[in-house]
Amino acid sequence: MATNPSNTVYKELLLPQPREQVWRALTTPETLARWMYPNDFEPRLGHRFTFQVPAKPEAEFPGLTVRCEVLECEPPQRLVFSWSAGGAVEDTRVSFQLSPHEAGTRLLFEHSGFDLSQPFGRQALKGAGYGWGAMLDALSTLLNESVKP
Amino acid sequence: MIAAAPHTPDVFGAISHPARRQMLDLLSESERSVNALAGHFQMSRPAVSQHLRVLLDAQLVTEQRHGRERRYQLVAGGLSPVRSWLERYDRFWDDRLQRLQELLQEDAPPPKPMEP
Repeated sequence: MATNPSNTVYKELLLPQPREQVWRALTTPETLARWMYPNDFEPRLGHRFTFQVPAKPEAEFPGLTVRCEVLECEPPQRLVFSWSAGGAVEDTRVSFQLSPHEAGTRLLFEHSGFDLSQPFGRQALKGAGYGWGAMLDALSTLLNESVKP
Repeated sequence: MIAAAPHTPDVFGAISHPARRQMLDLLSESERSVNALAGHFQMSRPAVSQHLRVLLDAQLVTEQRHGRERRYQLVAGGLSPVRSWLERYDRFWDDRLQRLQELLQEDAPPPKPMEP
């Protein structure tokens, strides 16, 4: 996979918790806010919602609204929502697939549909200082700080 | 005559076409001739050659003559600009899913106040 140019992020996790518990963490707005961001999510097909990524002036991160729509919702096994944040990250798809496993739950995560032909991609290539690349850098900083106890 | 502009390989443009992404996938397995590549696609051989030209221009593949045949090889590291861009999102989700795991381990106690 090292050379795969596919525009998709894959993750696979083995979680010791039962599937129903993982599903609740994915689909309860309050819980979702604790590992993602403040949101108005509802586990309902077609529901439109946003994640509000807070600003962090000291990291020159102006904040961000990610627009989403629930595309698939099959408790407790499959959740798919769109993820739009402008540029190359418009109408991308985020999906969570939960399957029972002897040790708990297997979580297959996928974020697909990045449009790498967008100008912003070239901007990132040239190392321009702004755009999603810079935002996500700032975001990483923010996350790394907030994860600490 | 027009002077050639300094050439920056257009890696993102090159991989914006699904057929070219598939060609790169095939070439990541082994080097292949145009004919061998064309066997995987519905399009004509000239069309395959045109896509290969784009990949050559983007410095994602190289060609070598073997007798009458040209074989194409993937350039190691050619996709690094794409990978480094996607890695940001990769790290982003690593962070988020790590938080999810931690939260599940806590068995969903009431939210704790976070440091500012």
